[in-house]
Amino acid sequence: MSSIPHDHAAGHDVDHEHAHHPGGIMRWITTTNHKDIGTLYLWFSFIMFLTGGVMALAIRAELFEPGLQLVEPEFFNQLNTVHGLIMIFGAIMPAAVGFANWQVPLMIGAPDMAFARMNNWSFWLLPFAAVLLLSSFLVPGGAASAGWTLYAPLSVQTGMGMDLTIFAIHIMGASSIMGSINIITTILNMRAPGMTMMKMPLFVWTWLITAYLLIAVMPVLAGAVTMLLTDRHFGTSFFNAAGGGDPVLYQHIFWFFGHPEVYIMILPSFGIVSTIIPAFARKPLFGYASMVYATGSIAILSFLVWAHHMFTVGMPVAGQVFFMYATMLIAVPTAVKVFNWVATMWRGSMTLETPMLFAIGFIFMFTVGGFTGLVLSLVPVDIVLHDTYYVVAHFHYVLVAGSLFAFFGGIYFWLPKWCGRMYDETLGKWHFWMTFVFFNITFFPMHFLGLAGMPRRVPDYATQFTDWNEVASIGAFGFGLSQLIFLYAVLKAIRSGPPAPARPWEGADTLEWTLPSPAPYHTFETPPHIQ
Amino acid sequence: MKHVARADRRAQREANVRTALILLSIAAVFFGGFILAQHWGGSTAGIGVLGLAIIGFLLVAILRNVRR
Repeated sequence: MSSIPHDHAAGHDVDHEHAHHPGGIMRWITTTNHKDIGTLYLWFSFIMFLTGGVMALAIRAELFEPGLQLVEPEFFNQLNTVHGLIMIFGAIMPAAVGFANWQVPLMIGAPDMAFARMNNWSFWLLPFAAVLLLSSFLVPGGAASAGWTLYAPLSVQTGMGMDLTIFAIHIMGASSIMGSINIITTILNMRAPGMTMMKMPLFVWTWLITAYLLIAVMPVLAGAVTMLLTDRHFGTSFFNAAGGGDPVLYQHIFWFFGHPEVYIMILPSFGIVSTIIPAFARKPLFGYASMVYATGSIAILSFLVWAHHMFTVGMPVAGQVFFMYATMLIAVPTAVKVFNWVATMWRGSMTLETPMLFAIGFIFMFTVGGFTGLVLSLVPVDIVLHDTYYVVAHFHYVLVAGSLFAFFGGIYFWLPKWCGRMYDETLGKWHFWMTFVFFNITFFPMHFLGLAGMPRRVPDYATQFTDWNEVASIGAFGFGLSQLIFLYAVLKAIRSGPPAPARPWEGADTLEWTLPSPAPYHTFETPPHIQ
Repeated sequence: MKHVARADRRAQREANVRTALILLSIAAVFFGGFILAQHWGGSTAGIGVLGLAIIGFLLVAILRNVRR
């Protein structure tokens, strides 16, 4: 990439810098610039991460001892439900879109996203959806309490909080679909000359496939919750057995969305890790083409495995066997990815700066989550472990140690390009090690609790589960406090970090590193030519 | 020169809108198809709607590229 002339690649007229946009709060409300909108998405997702995190701490505080201490069981269920919804729709997905907004145009040499105004609208829908979701705690009956899956028939029967949740999901779904259309159009139509599909950085590939997944499955979720709404208020009986409907139908439709959703949350992380590891191993990514095909395979297979979430509903044995083997099959392309990341590091000139630590932590713990997923894919085992803390441990290893670790790594990796300043490496390493250790203290014991039969979503438990619950609760508070180090490290970098060079990482070779740091407000107005 | 750049921008814009409309129609079929299929005919009709939609979009995508 260094062969691209710097000024030509930037395509940037210094006189235009900050010339055509308002300042202050109006800059952020009216902005159509992909970098501003990416920043908005990332800060919004961090605020939601803290909000959902506080709910998780309330849950862990209640579970510190057996019996009921702090919250009523109804409120405990509401916290569980909204924690899940906030973390998935408010934290992880918007963070991934924030990365896409910042990086996709920079990595493909496009001046901005294809539909800049729609991009602004996609973001500004989200705060309203979040307010709607959180305000459901204040209405009679409280927030939704049927779990983040909103299973019928419970979700058909509960109070007005469910309606607010349904509307919030509609709005967040519309935002996601608009964002996906924007990302796909940008990638397909606005790449710089010479940037063929198979020259695109892997982060762009993973986001292209993620965006297709979103377009396919977000409308399905919207349809499912719309049917819930009509069952609740307009006399239909889609999921009401008394009216000829079928509650299990809801589970089928929900998980047709829900399983691809898991990959929607993890594929962008794969892309980030695939960008970080070659940079710090100082070697090209091993098996680029196989990584692309593996990502596509994972996306296709994700549509064929939804019923492994519902082995206990009483499906035919042939169905169970099909979904079990289809689920196991996903391990193959996933293993290709893990193999390629390790092979990229093999005999590389590795250094362990904070982004690389998070990337290696991601590989290690995502693999643990993958293995427990394989355990759960076995029908007889799943029937025993269904709705226990083993499942809670499994998906937190995939989504926290997976998505979140990659996002932290990505932020440390690209922060110098975004704000033009370096972060404090010591603080970054403290953040990594505290997060890594406390995460495992929190979630590893949940495997033992689940294997011993502790059910999830219950505020009380039998006394034999006390010890590991205490350990998990202590770990959760340590994990939560560790994130304040991250906040401090980022704010310190933005305010007073040492100036970053254009390419602070020796092995980074994608297009954004040809730009000065911080990246100018307008970039690639003249497209670079990729050799 | 400026005229050519403006024409390029217009062509790019039209291509973007075409892509967006195709993607939006996929989302609309998935949203409406699921609800209508469940309302009228249960799971068989649902799978039928989805299958036809997927095959239809594949055909459109392939034929557009063959024409080029």
